[in-house]
Amino acid sequence: MSDTAKTDPVIQIDGLRFRYGEGEFELAVPELEVARGEHVAVVGPSGSGKTTLLHLIAGIETPQEGRVETAGTAVSELDDAARRSFRIQRVGLVFQEFELIDHLSVLDNVLLPYRIHPALRLDEATRARAEEIAAGIGIGDRLGRRATRLSQGERQRVAVCRALVAQPELLLADEPTGNLDPGNKDRVVDLLLESAEARGATLVVVTHDHDLLPRFARTVDFTAFQSAPSALTA
Amino acid sequence: MIRAFSFASFVAFLLSCSPPSEAPAPEAATPSSQLRVFVVNEPLRYFAARIGGSHVEVVLPAPSGIDPSTWTPDAETVAAYQSADLVLRSGAGYADWVDLVSLPAARVVDTSAAYRQRVRQRAGTVTHQHGPGGEHSHGELAHTTWLDLQLAILQAAAVADTLVRARPEHESAFRSELAALVADLEALDGQLAAAAQELADAPLLFSHPVYDYLIGRYALNARSLDWEPDAPPTPRQWRDLAAVVHEHPARWLLWEAEPLTEIERALRERGIESVVFDPCGGTPEDGDFLGVMKANVARFEAASTASE
Amino acid sequence: MSGPLYLAWRYLAHHRAKTAILVTAITLIAFLPIGLNQLVSESGRQLAARAQSTPLLVGERGSRLDLVLASLYFASDPPAAMRYAEAERVDASELATAIPLHVRFRARGHSVVGTTLEYLEFRGLRVAAGRPMAVLGECLVGAAAARDLELSPGDTVTTSPETVFDLAGTYRLRMRVAGVLAPSHTPDDEAIFVDVKTAWVIEGLGHGHQDVASPGASSAVLKREDDRVTANASLVEYNEITPENLASFHFHGDLAEHPVSAVLAVPRDEKSRVLLLGRYTAPDEAVQIVEPAAVMDDLLATVFTVRRYVLAAIALVSAATLVVAGLVFLLSVRLRRREIETLHKLGAARSHVALMLAAEVVAVIAVAGALAGVLTWLSGSFGGAAIRAFLLS
Repeated sequence: MSDTAKTDPVIQIDGLRFRYGEGEFELAVPELEVARGEHVAVVGPSGSGKTTLLHLIAGIETPQEGRVETAGTAVSELDDAARRSFRIQRVGLVFQEFELIDHLSVLDNVLLPYRIHPALRLDEATRARAEEIAAGIGIGDRLGRRATRLSQGERQRVAVCRALVAQPELLLADEPTGNLDPGNKDRVVDLLLESAEARGATLVVVTHDHDLLPRFARTVDFTAFQSAPSALTA
Repeated sequence: MIRAFSFASFVAFLLSCSPPSEAPAPEAATPSSQLRVFVVNEPLRYFAARIGGSHVEVVLPAPSGIDPSTWTPDAETVAAYQSADLVLRSGAGYADWVDLVSLPAARVVDTSAAYRQRVRQRAGTVTHQHGPGGEHSHGELAHTTWLDLQLAILQAAAVADTLVRARPEHESAFRSELAALVADLEALDGQLAAAAQELADAPLLFSHPVYDYLIGRYALNARSLDWEPDAPPTPRQWRDLAAVVHEHPARWLLWEAEPLTEIERALRERGIESVVFDPCGGTPEDGDFLGVMKANVARFEAASTASE
Repeated sequence: MSGPLYLAWRYLAHHRAKTAILVTAITLIAFLPIGLNQLVSESGRQLAARAQSTPLLVGERGSRLDLVLASLYFASDPPAAMRYAEAERVDASELATAIPLHVRFRARGHSVVGTTLEYLEFRGLRVAAGRPMAVLGECLVGAAAARDLELSPGDTVTTSPETVFDLAGTYRLRMRVAGVLAPSHTPDDEAIFVDVKTAWVIEGLGHGHQDVASPGASSAVLKREDDRVTANASLVEYNEITPENLASFHFHGDLAEHPVSAVLAVPRDEKSRVLLLGRYTAPDEAVQIVEPAAVMDDLLATVFTVRRYVLAAIALVSAATLVVAGLVFLLSVRLRRREIETLHKLGAARSHVALMLAAEVVAVIAVAGALAGVLTWLSGSFGGAAIRAFLLS
């Protein structure tokens, strides 16, 4: 365990065991800590449960066993409503395939969290902040454009902007470079690192791309955790 | 945006259709106290005015001096007839222009209904035929029915009945006036009958074939010419007269109007005297129908006396 | 705007075509039964009003409906003609006023209705320009006919031949427009009224020609014998009645034998109406007397029966349409599975997403309902005039 993790852990996992339904894939993480402000890359082969780990940290899923504490909150022990409320205010999510809403504009996609949960109030200050973040990321002049009319790199930037607009203390990015060309990969990773640094946010990036690992302060190797595919149900 | 525009256009189109409006109510007729009666000749005008008195306004649109039987009103005059409370027809084909115009049938009265069976065919009618319709003629009925004063009395009674139906509140006045008029007409009829009796079978000539009813009623021995009082006869017409007189030695020629002096003189040279018997179909220059008939009867009596 | 409503609106606005189709379909489902009902009710009311204002109709034995349609609405082929003497018979009964109708002819697509001045008074028709017809050959034009044919007092309009090869049949008479009627919002607006005698002239039963005795007609004379003159077909017959030739017009034969299409009988009172009806009950009676209101009631009963079937069909189609709309919605939700999952992952409650989807459905239904409401109001306010125009055309 690192010294920084001992001082102010944003993520603390103990004895985590998780499976989908009955007899499906089982994820086991005995122990994991990420300190505040750390930039961590999580590597592992495809299908090893990296996305599931992010979901458990964000409170999208709950483990059958163990404890997940995120930003000081035991999300594994909260009910669905509490987890959602926690997640939307404290965690910024960047999904593997961007997952923008195609029929919404760039600005509407960025402000989407504010339209789906009463905990976030949309006001002029929020709009201004969204426009500022978008401008900083380089999509300030695309705000009125429909998401379907953006390039892959621009779509990823919108996803990052959406994750940042609520000023989360934890940024979780699942394979953010998976669908991008090499040029855009570097740009997106730089963007994530710079954004997290600028806001003092903790960054956890799931990736299978080993070329990116030197950019991160710390790498967590998923193969270190005990995980095995379960027997197929009869 | 396109939808909104299309919708607005649709609304604008429908708004441009005039909203349903009530059909205008027909103008309410304002019955005046005076009955407005239009007639087709002078006898009817006289009868209606005499019988109706102050309760009627009688109009004969044909200009005075014009024979109404040959007059056809223009469209504007017909429109005036349409506005009348009553239109009195003389029957017997008189003023057959009525068949060529539109008049409110309920307000048109044929005052000859009582003597329709006694209407005579006009002498000397030209018939013609063309096409599949066969033979037909124009103006085949004699229409100066009032010259038979008994028919005139029946006509006057019909006028009175019509006025009574229209204004029953004045019936007693109408009947009273009718009685006085009938008395006058009966007196004239008596005078004419007496004069005709004095003439016995004396041959008479008439200038025009419009005296059928006078001739028939009083059994006159008469022949009709086709002479105009203001047109000197042609040599042919003199020859025709001579031929007629040869068989029908008349001493009197009864004219519709005063003949020219030269005609009168030429006739006198031939032993024929001229007497005016105005049928009075149209409005006279002076006087009225009864006055004209009285003058006619006086002259006829004088001729009958002189013929003894 | 709240989040679910805003997202619902953005979805609908983006999928304009699909939204428009759904709105249109639901609008039609909502409006069609109402509109049909309004149409049938208003049509029935207008048809019935015309019939109810016409107490009795006398015509040749045959289809009562054809007689009523031809005489009241100037639609349908003219009924078989009967003698004008039947009009005189009604008048002579002193139970009703007889108004003859002659509806055989047309002029430039409009019915030429031969009648008397009493018709104008009976129908409450007012002359807006000019005056009623006065002399033979004049006509009084209905408001819509005048507008359609661009006629005003002083103009002329010529009757149409009955058939293309009408070489030796009815007269093509050029009629002078004496006046134009004010709109009455009835079939009278589409008609051209003439005196019934003018209709007889068109039928060839009356005519005007050169005086056979005049020198100008000498070339048309075949022979003269005493008082009889026989003319040949070159005798000039007039096809327009003018002040100059009016006096030459005349009719052949007894006017009582001339044809009319029907006689409108206006009874003096209820007792007279009943008595008049009773005079036409003999089995050997050549003519019939009908009560137009009763005939129209029979027709409308049939129409209303048909309407029930049509409404039932509309209901079935509507149900099928709603099922299809529902299917479209469910398929669309399935297609949006990833979008819904994203919303959940970001933090949206399932109820929030359900509310958004429901708002889309409600919005479509609300807009369709509003449109149907507007259409209903419009058809209620202006449908009467449109139906009148349709019925009159």
